Amino acid sequence: MEDQINNTGQGSAGSSPGAGYTGSRTGQNLGIAALITAIVTFVFAVIPCVGLIAIIPGVIAIVLAVVGLSRASESGSRGVLIAGLVIAVVASIISFSQLFVAGKIIEKAKRGFGGDIENIIRDVQKDILQDLEDAKISIKVESNGDKVEIKADTGSRSRIEELEELERTDSLNSGTNVKK
Amino acid sequence: MTGVAISRYVPADRDSYLVINLVLATVILLVFIYSGIFSPGKDNYPVVCIHEKVTGQPCISCGLSHSLSLMIRGRIAEARTWNANGPAIFIFFAAQLIMRILFSACRVKYPSTGKELIIYDISGSTVLFLVAFFPFLINIFSLSGIH
Repeated sequence: MEDQINNTGQGSAGSSPGAGYTGSRTGQNLGIAALITAIVTFVFAVIPCVGLIAIIPGVIAIVLAVVGLSRASESGSRGVLIAGLVIAVVASIISFSQLFVAGKIIEKAKRGFGGDIENIIRDVQKDILQDLEDAKISIKVESNGDKVEIKADTGSRSRIEELEELERTDSLNSGTNVKK
Repeated sequence: MTGVAISRYVPADRDSYLVINLVLATVILLVFIYSGIFSPGKDNYPVVCIHEKVTGQPCISCGLSHSLSLMIRGRIAEARTWNANGPAIFIFFAAQLIMRILFSACRVKYPSTGKELIIYDISGSTVLFLVAFFPFLINIFSLSGIH
């Protein structure tokens, strides 16, 4: 009961009771508006799809609560206004944090893409080194006639030739077998 | 003087709670109407994922509008495929709508229930919110480096 009497805002401001009541009502109405906006903002701020936009109603809710608090400063009824302000601030922080989340996702995506390229380059480098290891390189240098000859063979050709020779010998063998 | 103040204060205070409940119930009803009007078959949703536009990657809440629309139509299995969290969020909104009506009725019928009713309301709503939106909250905290 005592709580209710204290929360009326009557006679505490030193001004006329009517003016105190009007101020309290205005503050209370702003408080209701701020609290509702803040609650709706809070719900939307958590959803990533619309979380970034939620900063707009969040700011509106903060402004409503602050104006309400300044109007209701003379009276005692500030519970709804403070609740609205706190929820609005938290909702705005969550909404703002969605920006960081978006930034992190972009960074992650970039890192993933860069990593893929790095892997491809590493694979190509490995293949080239493997080819060079298999390669037959012959270097001829003639000092008097100033001739420099560098012959590089990857070895793949010789392997093909070896395979062809094997095939030839196989076919020859099979031919002789047939004749026999 | 105090008598006048009390008689003025009590209905005003009760009104504020009722007004908040009424407006929140209207907002939830609007969410349901939105989900009912726009159909997943036509894919005519006006809200696009800003997160996807900014990052180029689909977010955890993508497909939520489709999911809620399907939940309204009773197609729960399909709703789950669009967004796994859709059914939980639908239940949260439905429960909130019921809570707004019930708590308002309670307040009107039993005016003596003061702070207790509001405390029960806040506690219940907070628990429901945390349960329904838990994956989204985890997503925010894990990606922003807090978790």
